[in-house]
Amino acid sequence: MAALAAGSSPPLDVRQRGERARRILLWLYAGLFYCFLYLPILLLVVLSFNDSQTIGLPLQGATLRWYREVLGSPEMMWSIANSFMLGVVSAVIATLLALLMALGFRQEFPLKALLMKIILLPILIPGIVGGVIYLVFFGYGEMRFGVWSSALPVHITWVLPFAFLTLFPRIHGLDRSLEEAAADLGARPFTVFRRVVLPIIRPGVVATAMFAFTLSFDEFIRTLFVIGNERTAPVHLWTLLSDQMAPFLPAVGVLITVISMLVSFVGFAASARASRTG
Amino acid sequence: MIVAATAKVAGRRDLRPLLVVPGALWLLVFGVAPLVLLFAMSFWTSSIFGTTTDFTLDNYRVIADDPVYVQVLLQTLRIAATVTALSLLAGYPMAYFLASLGGGRRNFFLVLLFLPFWSSYVVRTFVWLPMLGRNGLVNTVLMEMGLISQPLDWLLYNEGATHIGLVYVYTLFMTLPIYLSLDRIDRKLIEAAADLGAGPFRTFARVTFPLSMPGVLSGCVMVFLLACGAYVTPQLLGGTSGMMFGNVIAPQYTVTNNWALGAALSVILVLVVFLCLVVFGRRVRLNDIFIGG
Repeated sequence: MAALAAGSSPPLDVRQRGERARRILLWLYAGLFYCFLYLPILLLVVLSFNDSQTIGLPLQGATLRWYREVLGSPEMMWSIANSFMLGVVSAVIATLLALLMALGFRQEFPLKALLMKIILLPILIPGIVGGVIYLVFFGYGEMRFGVWSSALPVHITWVLPFAFLTLFPRIHGLDRSLEEAAADLGARPFTVFRRVVLPIIRPGVVATAMFAFTLSFDEFIRTLFVIGNERTAPVHLWTLLSDQMAPFLPAVGVLITVISMLVSFVGFAASARASRTG
Repeated sequence: MIVAATAKVAGRRDLRPLLVVPGALWLLVFGVAPLVLLFAMSFWTSSIFGTTTDFTLDNYRVIADDPVYVQVLLQTLRIAATVTALSLLAGYPMAYFLASLGGGRRNFFLVLLFLPFWSSYVVRTFVWLPMLGRNGLVNTVLMEMGLISQPLDWLLYNEGATHIGLVYVYTLFMTLPIYLSLDRIDRKLIEAAADLGAGPFRTFARVTFPLSMPGVLSGCVMVFLLACGAYVTPQLLGGTSGMMFGNVIAPQYTVTNNWALGAALSVILVLVVFLCLVVFGRRVRLNDIFIGG
């Protein structure tokens, strides 16, 4: 297209050559950028198999003992289980609340703009403040700190804005004529929702729940201050990091990463399907 | 309550706005109330016996009197600004690259970009320890190449390492909104500029870049916000010289148990961040930041 449109001003081949040079530069840059992204992670994977008492190079032969050690540690397994359950429960509740809000947001109502700002609040509060704020809140209310008593509400609150922001554009863009047709044919509002709206938005809802799960699974700073003596996977990794540089730490990192990447990938696929079909 | 009242006025037909009530109530209790409590507590009194509701301005006085707090706050803002600039420099060409790709390739490289961010923040920070440490990859490679004979000690535990860590952790939040706004540019505008005789650089400077400004602003606000609240990265990589405001707040709760002072410090950080949002946020609609300008 560019060649056709070039017209008379600059000679054709010069322009094409410039275009190609820019393209090569862009690809080179992208290559460097991906190296920056992946080199540290690949190094972590390699080190998780490295048979050495210290974390670092040189490589001293491959071993699976760090993985055996990690998978054999009850604290580690408990922390992963906690993170997993916490992720599932907070994803379900937050997605449900977000779905209701997104459906309500299709109508106009007073204080809508203010509510939008309140929804964004948990994201806008700086991370560290988002941590201590709940320590103060639950501590002052003399609640017990733990996975289900304090970490769960914190996770739901943290995940809710993201769930809302991913769901809202999808629900806002729905064609209303289908619902109106169903209503005209005598379907009650809940039936319209269940039989018309839900089937259309279901893939989007599933993708949102997956996204919410990984946000909760990976959450650290807000959890750290309210988890008490219990552990989620990132908090457990943090306590290990603060304690000592144990040689099995890369294996812990790789395990946590693999779990959240798997779920995210499924969620991404679901979301890609959702945007294709709806 | 107001929502309920108007729905009633509107007649029995439209109760649908009521659907926002559960979520709104949740956010009032767990989003707004803790913030209000934090603000109140910043005027309370903490002692070794705990925190009491006696009103005082002492917490703010302590902060104003001790130059360390101001110094760390300024350092935090400076680091956050530099990290934002570095992320923009690194992220913009990347976003441009993604926007220039065709369908299948583009999805592949997008997933490739997302993948590392689907991992815990702690892991993504931790990976830099074996990269930059004494027996880390960078030192090993430099020694193998014969460029240095002793491992470098200054790669880790300073401001530089904090910068690298933060850019690494937050670069997606810069690249993504820029990519989205580049993707939204009508190709015809770029072709028109070329037809009118503008060279590639002029087209970029006069057409593409200005049109991508919403994404640039969104990305900058987002990265700046995130970097201001950083705690993990400076704690793990920054040592004492790369400390940020988060590392001053946390010990008030984990070490000295001075909740009131910690609350006052938190209030200051929140105010500074919100001030920045008001200054820059006027140009960006807040929701665009997250949905991606």
